Amino acid sequence: MMFVLMITILSSCKKKEDQTTTYTPTPYAIQIPLRFPSLLNIPKDNPMTQEGIELGRYLFYDGRLSGRTDPDSMMSCSTCHIQSNSFVCGIDHPKFKGGHPFGITGIPTSHYMLPMINLVWNTTGYLWNGAIYPGNPDIQSRNLEDIVRLVMTIPQEMYADTNRVKILFQQLNGYPGLFQKAFGSDVITIKNMGKAIAQFVRTLISANSKFDRFMRGEVQLNSEELDGYVLFMTEQGGDCFHCHGGDGNPLFTTNLCYNNGKDSVFTDPLDHYSVTKNSMDIGAYKAPTLRNLAFTAPYMHDGRFKTIDEVIDFYSSGLVWSPSISPLMHHLRTGGVQLTPIKKAHLKAFLLTLTDSSFVINPAFGRPAKLPD
Amino acid sequence: MNRFFSFVKVASFILLSVVFFSCHKNGTVEEITIKKNGNILFQFTHLNNGNELLFDTMIYRTSTGNQYMINDLQYFISGFQVHRAKDKWIQIVSDKGIHYIDAQDKSTFLWKVTDGIPPGVYDSVSFIFGLDAANNISFRFPDPPERDMFWPEILGGGYHYMKMNLKWKNNSMTDPMPFMFHLGIGQMYNGDSTNTDSIIGYIQNYFTIKSFSPFAIKDNQLTRINLIMNIEKWFDSQNAFNFSDYPMGIMQNQLGMYRACMNGRKAFAMKNEQ
Repeated sequence: MMFVLMITILSSCKKKEDQTTTYTPTPYAIQIPLRFPSLLNIPKDNPMTQEGIELGRYLFYDGRLSGRTDPDSMMSCSTCHIQSNSFVCGIDHPKFKGGHPFGITGIPTSHYMLPMINLVWNTTGYLWNGAIYPGNPDIQSRNLEDIVRLVMTIPQEMYADTNRVKILFQQLNGYPGLFQKAFGSDVITIKNMGKAIAQFVRTLISANSKFDRFMRGEVQLNSEELDGYVLFMTEQGGDCFHCHGGDGNPLFTTNLCYNNGKDSVFTDPLDHYSVTKNSMDIGAYKAPTLRNLAFTAPYMHDGRFKTIDEVIDFYSSGLVWSPSISPLMHHLRTGGVQLTPIKKAHLKAFLLTLTDSSFVINPAFGRPAKLPD
Repeated sequence: MNRFFSFVKVASFILLSVVFFSCHKNGTVEEITIKKNGNILFQFTHLNNGNELLFDTMIYRTSTGNQYMINDLQYFISGFQVHRAKDKWIQIVSDKGIHYIDAQDKSTFLWKVTDGIPPGVYDSVSFIFGLDAANNISFRFPDPPERDMFWPEILGGGYHYMKMNLKWKNNSMTDPMPFMFHLGIGQMYNGDSTNTDSIIGYIQNYFTIKSFSPFAIKDNQLTRINLIMNIEKWFDSQNAFNFSDYPMGIMQNQLGMYRACMNGRKAFAMKNEQ
């Protein structure tokens, strides 16, 4: 009896030791494309590893993340974040009419979707109102990891019971080992789920549009696209670059929030003002990246514009004054930048050079062939 | 010969002692080398009519009768030199001699240059407003916030020297309107400035400020030099600025940028404190 006990104890120790020694994650380095920022938003307590990214990809696509197993009520990140649409649900989504998603409870999200592109370079704030930002006094609202937890719990999205989620994934044979490899412990926690998904999301990099290849000297833009490029980049043209970047800022966003002159009356309680309490931020929202604009309709935080043409028309002649309108909207006196139909077409042609089709079919970002059992 | 060896022994002892105590106290010998000189801490202050600049408040007025508020103010200062008499100067090389200031971000108000400055009396400081042609290199700042100062390639490239975003109104206007007081490389147009095909050349609009106010640098001491931007001078010191003269802004209006930069030469003052 004593012998059996000793053997059992020794075996346990050996098993524990094996688990410890198997935690040798492989560091993953972001390859920084030409002229992209060197400053990466990767928290010190969540360094990127091959194993973390692999686990994150599984979790991103696993509908059991909602804590449910019935096919009708399963929900994952990918339920709404669809790769072929640059990780928005898309205006033609069969379930989310007009591109406005809702959660398991049927309650729609507060805002429409933002594309998940190049988020590793966002150092100023996530979501339309920038509510998740480094340095936030609320330490649970600082980074992508926190967004995962938020998404899992709010009724507008997964509305999951996190204890149930943990138990469910702990019982799945395939997952504890993946957590062990990624984080050195096979005990599944919501925190590590957030870390893994955030790592995967940070790999979603788009830097191979026609415009990128033009900047690398690999292709030439045609005359319409070039004219649109000039319009985009000039104060007396479309003046897009001050908020959306351009040749000097290849993210095509400053990741800052602006009141771009859509409204004169504001009723949304979740604008940038809700974060800063600065009255100049009333009605202000994130200037989203314009990369892959072709896939990410509808546009604006409330999805009011269904097409790129509608957006260009708005900036051309649809601006309205309000006390908090951004001072960058300096064409306000004339209602907008006043583009002719030809100029509008050229600007659109340029915007479409920001389309990176390789991003939306990159297998590394897509659904794994098989999820862990 | 014995005296020589004695000297070597004493010198070696002193040297080793210095190295030992230097390392013990400061971790590296290099720091001690710098501390043999004085250091400078530049402090940037923004005033309007002698008072601290207040943002987002319509309380300012130009001599042309424009009321205005300042919403954002970001700019580059570069090419710092401290001058002694007889045409001697020291070039500040810390951070490649370039400092970015956001007037709403206090973390940018202080710039401690790591250059060791030899002790002595200096008569002035000079610096470049913006970036000179050699330093105004496109894509040199990949990261925010400096990155967001980029100046489009088609308009000359490099970076904005300054972005001052404001809203203004005159007596005939009901609502204050946005104005972008942005400075950088200018363009020469052979025709319509909305048509970039007519650009026939570019103009460097940066300028040098030299501020005479004697100050002393002492061993192991930090000399604080306060550089003050008097905002109202941008609009009034030489050319009375009327915002309605520039309905399309001034990035593509060299005359507007020229007038602004002429005013800007009077916008800076220096005050040293020890």
